[in-house]
Amino acid sequence: MIRACGVGVSYGGVRAVADMSLRTAPGLTVLSGPSGSGKSTLLRVLSLVERPSAGEVFVHDRPTSQLSWRELRSLRRKEIAVVFQNPADNLIGHLTVGDNLRAAGATDLSLLERLGLGGSGTWRIGALSGGQQQRLAFGCALARGASVVVADEPTSQLDARSADLVLETLTSLPVPVLVASHDPRLVELADLCVPLVAS
Amino acid sequence: MQLPWRAAPRAALSSPLTLVVSIVTTLLLGFVVAAAVLHSSAAGSAALAYQQGRVCPQSMHPSLDGDGIPLAQAVRTATTNGGLGAVYTNIARPDFTGLATYARFGYRPGATEHLRVLQGGGTGLWVPQTVASAAKVKIGDRLVGSTLVVSAIYADLAHPVADWWCSEAKTVVPNPLAGEGASTSVIWVHQAADLALLPADFSSATVSIRFPAEPVTTIAEAEALRDNGNALLAKLGLPLTRTDLVSAAITASATARDNVGSALLPLVVVSVLVGLAGVGTVTVQWAQRRHSELRLLWVRGAGPLALGLRGVLELGLPLVLGGVLGLVAARVLLPLYGPGTAPAPGTLWTALGAVLAVVVLSLAVTVLTACWRTHRTFQGRPRRWRLAVLPWELAVGGLAVLAWLRLAENGLGTRPGAGELPRIDAAALTFPLLVVLAAALLATRVLRWTLTWSHRVQFWRVPAAQLAVRRLAAAAGPVTGVVLVGVLAVGTIAVGSSVAGAQRSALDSKSAVHVGANSTAQVSQDLATGKVALPESLRGTTTLVGVSSGALVVDPATFTDAAIVGDPDRVRAVLAGLGKTGAVASAVRIGRAANQEMQVPGLPLLKPSESLPSFPKLGTRGYVITRSAVPAPEQVGSWHLWSSLPVSALTAELQKAGIHYTNVADRAKVLDGLPFLTVQWTFGFVAAIGVVLAVVAAVALLLAIEVRRRQNAVSGALSTRMGMKPALLWSSHLLEVGAIAVAAVAVGAVASFVSAGAAVPRLDPAPWLNPAPVLPDLVPLLGLMVVCGAAVVAAAAWLALRGVRTARMGELLR
Repeated sequence: MIRACGVGVSYGGVRAVADMSLRTAPGLTVLSGPSGSGKSTLLRVLSLVERPSAGEVFVHDRPTSQLSWRELRSLRRKEIAVVFQNPADNLIGHLTVGDNLRAAGATDLSLLERLGLGGSGTWRIGALSGGQQQRLAFGCALARGASVVVADEPTSQLDARSADLVLETLTSLPVPVLVASHDPRLVELADLCVPLVAS
Repeated sequence: MQLPWRAAPRAALSSPLTLVVSIVTTLLLGFVVAAAVLHSSAAGSAALAYQQGRVCPQSMHPSLDGDGIPLAQAVRTATTNGGLGAVYTNIARPDFTGLATYARFGYRPGATEHLRVLQGGGTGLWVPQTVASAAKVKIGDRLVGSTLVVSAIYADLAHPVADWWCSEAKTVVPNPLAGEGASTSVIWVHQAADLALLPADFSSATVSIRFPAEPVTTIAEAEALRDNGNALLAKLGLPLTRTDLVSAAITASATARDNVGSALLPLVVVSVLVGLAGVGTVTVQWAQRRHSELRLLWVRGAGPLALGLRGVLELGLPLVLGGVLGLVAARVLLPLYGPGTAPAPGTLWTALGAVLAVVVLSLAVTVLTACWRTHRTFQGRPRRWRLAVLPWELAVGGLAVLAWLRLAENGLGTRPGAGELPRIDAAALTFPLLVVLAAALLATRVLRWTLTWSHRVQFWRVPAAQLAVRRLAAAAGPVTGVVLVGVLAVGTIAVGSSVAGAQRSALDSKSAVHVGANSTAQVSQDLATGKVALPESLRGTTTLVGVSSGALVVDPATFTDAAIVGDPDRVRAVLAGLGKTGAVASAVRIGRAANQEMQVPGLPLLKPSESLPSFPKLGTRGYVITRSAVPAPEQVGSWHLWSSLPVSALTAELQKAGIHYTNVADRAKVLDGLPFLTVQWTFGFVAAIGVVLAVVAAVALLLAIEVRRRQNAVSGALSTRMGMKPALLWSSHLLEVGAIAVAAVAVGAVASFVSAGAAVPRLDPAPWLNPAPVLPDLVPLLGLMVVCGAAVVAAAAWLALRGVRTARMGELLR
């Protein structure tokens, strides 16, 4: 469970996020809004990749603003899995599909069947389509045993058919998922939608 | 270890270019440090070889000499203690035919095998020709007061003698110009026991015991020779004087090795720092290429240190391999860049240790750079300043000023004691290199500013120039990097070559001034008085010169045939004006000599009428008069033949003509050249490093072009499809790469020529001898650099255009 209280992010004199408070729900939470509304910035803060300029982020009610980078990494390692927008950024290009899963902590490759990627364990990453890569990325997130999955625009670089497969994967994940997206289909599927506006 | 780390070494194969660049970077690093170690050691061996060439081979092993020893005891001492023992009696007047002359008897095992027999042979007495002629001795004559009979007449030994006689030259080579009985040849007996049969006049003797040994090639071998030799002599316990030339040779060689090593150290440190910066750059590029993976691992919880280790796991093997290859290259190429080919035993291990040290440093730099880079990228704040903003050129310039002050104050170092090598001041020696480095840093800063400002420039009237400027500005980082290394390369090559060349020519010039000609030999006054004529075969190459204290007597007509002078026409013209008026001889005043009438013993009153700044033999102080002005040649101190021939040719002609001579001097051996060679070897290595840097600069330029191939191809293909002529594109690439090459050559050449020009006269190992070193002619070197630079420019431009020619537009735009 991730909770934000009065979070703000500034870069120099530019405010990217101001006084934002939210609590992730079980199931799918979507941060929606137009480009420039601060979705990705807020997501980075909530996934402990970036420190907020103001406010506090709690992970399982543990405040994180006073934690060192080492403690933040440790917390991220145990609790949070991040999926980036670009499918290729979520995988290690020089490893095979199976090795990517193993690198994420999977002990066997049965997960590939659930992801619709059965039989691709020995394939090179380049042999997968963008949608397959993104599904594998969520598979890796699952394999890591994180208590929450955070994904930034996971369908924005995919065609409609691939995006559908990713959405199917997303909604089937057994852990809370926090997503930043302006994809209306994702918003429709959301258990909780947090609309952001650009100011 | 987790899978991404375990798989890292194999991941290196995914980028062959990074692999090659990593290997080449540590190859050069390993080469520099291994070459420095091997070069220093080889310098010690070369110094040893040089000194062995200057001493008699049989004198290298510690030896024994004694004189005034009773003959019987001398014979026992020389023959019963091993080694090559020789006995020489005192000089007395042996009588064969009633015409007694001065001579001494001698015995040395195998001596008769090293003499040239004129008559006879056999096991009796071997009489030298001078003694045989003077006393009218014939084969078969019996020595009065003895049973010994003459069985052979041999040709007197003369300078230069063979190696077998070299250590005995003082005794066995007669000095025909010395007073009667002062020096004479040796009558050889066939066996030591024959000495007991000599008349009682020959009752005392001198003994020499030599221990011929194989030439040594390394200081370690020389030390073993010294230690074993001294142990042997101590064991013999003979009451003789011990001569130990090998110790002096070891000391001088070790000093030369240390001088070269310490002089190279600053350059090696700078090179290692440049190389480590290169390793850091490779790592930064690796981090950029692996950004996605590093970010993924970081968000999964890996820290910067773990990611740094990920970097070293991928780049480590190529770095280690490069270091080992550098060591191998340094050893294999030693004959090309080193002063000698025989490093001391264990040097290769030392070099391996040095290479391992820089490899470990490279690995550490890789870890730290990757660690710092990932920390700054993922955890740090935006960078507010860069290392480049620091005024490095001012700091280096300040160091250059300090080096100049030391160089101006002490030159190469403090003047050594007699027989010692100067201890080179390594800090002073760095002056020209620091100037080059400061110039390189300044040039890169100015270039960076210029490229930043260049967007204001509108050269569209000359589209090739405009395109070239924009391309340069777009790649400011690689461009300034190549210019920096290029300037360093050109500068170090020019500094190294010019200082090494100046030392070579300084040794030659100083030797020439010291001797006067290629070779000289003292002859009797008979040549000056005309009783004996100069052999026809020596005419045109040889001149007769009289030497009195502070003055020379020369023959204006032939002097410049033999003497080594800077401006023969000027000297000939000045000497032609000399003559004599009454009792006063007009003279040439040399350098700082007093401009007043001067009385020199044996010469008429001298009155300076002309002057020259310096003169062979006299240096910068003395007087020169013409031979015709000397009324009594026999009163001149001594007469010498100066020749442009090698000493062996001069003495061979004199022997053929039957002209006695002594005090032979050879320009090639008259001065101990080791101090000059030490500096020459040091800067020879500097030039070698410059060549390595030049290769780095050329390869970096070609790699930068190759990396930008796709960009070049897109822009070139679009430009030509929009109507640009291929020739224009070709000239724009030539302008682009040519500007880099011109900047590197121009800045490097100017900085190095100016700094070397200022430093060379002060880098004088023997400032008390004239003339001071001067900068050699650098035009051929500059020409070679321009040609090489043009070749690299042409290759780079061709590489850039190749991408355009082979480009498929659709594929590029996809």
